[in-house]
Amino acid sequence: MRRPLSLYGLTFSLPLLVWQVLFFVFPLVFLVALSFWTVKNFRMQPDFDGVNWATMYGRAVFWQAYGTTFALAAAASVLVSVLAFPCSYAISFKLSDTARSWAVFLMVIPFFTSYLVRVYSWQIFLSDAGIVNVMLGWVGLGPYTLLNTVGATMIGYLTLTFPLVVLLQLFSLVFIDRTLIEAAHNLRCGRLRTVFAVIIPSARVGLVIAALFAFILSFGDFVSPIYLGGGDPTTLSILITDTTKSGQQWPRAAVIALTMIGTLLAVAFAAVRFAYKGRTK
Amino acid sequence: MNKNALVSFEGVVKRFGEFVAVQRMDFEIGKGEFLAIMGSSGCGKTTTLRMLAGLEAPSEGVIRLSGKPINDLPTWSRDTPMVWQSLALFPFLNVIENVEFALKMRGVGKAERRRRAEQWLDRMQISEFAGRNISQLSGGQRQRVALARSLVVEPEILLLDEPLSALDAALKVRMQSVLKNLQRETGITFVYVTHSQSEAFSMADRVVIMSRGKIEQIGTPQEIYRTPRTRFVANFLGSSNIFTGNVVETGDGRATLETPMGAFGLVSSEQSTRALMGRTATLTVLDTKTNLSRTMPTGRVNAVPVRMIGEEFIGATATIYLETGDGHEIRVQKSHEELASLPLQIGQELVAYWNEEDGHLVPEE
Repeated sequence: MRRPLSLYGLTFSLPLLVWQVLFFVFPLVFLVALSFWTVKNFRMQPDFDGVNWATMYGRAVFWQAYGTTFALAAAASVLVSVLAFPCSYAISFKLSDTARSWAVFLMVIPFFTSYLVRVYSWQIFLSDAGIVNVMLGWVGLGPYTLLNTVGATMIGYLTLTFPLVVLLQLFSLVFIDRTLIEAAHNLRCGRLRTVFAVIIPSARVGLVIAALFAFILSFGDFVSPIYLGGGDPTTLSILITDTTKSGQQWPRAAVIALTMIGTLLAVAFAAVRFAYKGRTK
Repeated sequence: MNKNALVSFEGVVKRFGEFVAVQRMDFEIGKGEFLAIMGSSGCGKTTTLRMLAGLEAPSEGVIRLSGKPINDLPTWSRDTPMVWQSLALFPFLNVIENVEFALKMRGVGKAERRRRAEQWLDRMQISEFAGRNISQLSGGQRQRVALARSLVVEPEILLLDEPLSALDAALKVRMQSVLKNLQRETGITFVYVTHSQSEAFSMADRVVIMSRGKIEQIGTPQEIYRTPRTRFVANFLGSSNIFTGNVVETGDGRATLETPMGAFGLVSSEQSTRALMGRTATLTVLDTKTNLSRTMPTGRVNAVPVRMIGEEFIGATATIYLETGDGHEIRVQKSHEELASLPLQIGQELVAYWNEEDGHLVPEE
């Protein structure tokens, strides 16, 4: 449905529109322009040269980082979705109304503290002389290298995305029509089978959007791969900081950033299409 | 227990916390029967159906299906498919996938599944919509999909929970005949929950009338219509004139009820009437069995002087609304021919009367 904008509507939407133009569209256009600038003697100068794109896309290290980042983000979004589902399922179907409100409240609490602080506290747990290794030592195990591993990066991604994914899944699960579940049971669909045959298909949009958010957040994250993963393997976010530090190569960093934005747009588009596949209005 | 009973409820009680939804229920449902359970909302009719489907567990008593107790059988291990008021079709599956669902759950092979689903779509005359989404169907078409989805496994019994309540009046009547024919052709036992008297009485072989978790009366539509067994039923059906009074004389095949409007005689050979001696009871007389005249009739009839307060025409019959001296309302339903000789004007003084054998006595609750 399309209606002409009224003055009343504009009054409320205009500030946001101005904000978006100033701080999103304008920087984005600038980023595109920047990617065509050149750097001479550590100084950037306006230009229109495809050299940055050619250089970056010609480097194996860029594609390696791209592959790593994509794989890690994809793994994180699958892992967090699988881990979060039993949790959100239990909250929406097994808890009383009061208990559910409390669970939602508890899921919001992690957002009270900065993600960076939470990642630092993971360092205390995971370092060689950290809490986990000390406890393992009591039973004669370890010490293991936990920090600066891919596993630690993944823990960071889960810290970042888990509460959000649970909340997003929850909001699609609580709105499932309960009679659909009864109807499935009534047609000889057992409990576990109903989860796969009825609940997941009913909540598909919410589940896919939750996974998409997990992917977006993990794909662009800088904190976990550097502070928990130790910067190895290099992700695109780390590559951006490295590139800007080495010889003022902001234009090349812009190429990486634009590639990331393009990737996320493509993934988001594909995910939304998949989520709404087979649905007609 | 009756040998032909498919389902039997034996002393079934259902409580939700303090609230008693169904109180001590004993009845049987015969094989191939079309049974309607009727009552106003909150009377326990849907709870009864849900217990039969295994969606609620009885608090007390036994429910048997084909003689075997099914209390502890989860709903997915029973063959008691149900048609929901909301229909509960799966929106993420298309029409034929919805119909195939139950077969898939039973492990029927793909080709066989498709064949049987197509058969039922054909039977319900919705084959052309096989590939459509549920959201693209009209109310009547959805109804047919819901029926096909439940019937595709060819169960012994089908449970229906007010399935027609969302349809408009014309479609409702069409679907009633679809349902009745379907039941007759398949021989499947239908248990049909409704609050609508016209649905229950037009389709069912037997009707169960419930009120406040209790069965008020079970019988064929004719039996219930002609002789409502309780005051509630008479009131609920709205087709009888009701008088309350004291039973002052019984025996010799007769009884007398003393009411503020006078003493009414009635023919009664039933043992139960004797038990009512000296107690408060209710007399019901069908409004079609109540007559009107200008003068006091003679013979073995009961008569009450009345004043006309209104009239209503429905097709070939008219309902005349009258009032006794003390404000008690009496209705008379007759054909236009039968009423032609009467001076029918608002305020007209008349006499309402009925034959003694047309009155039925029920105990006051």
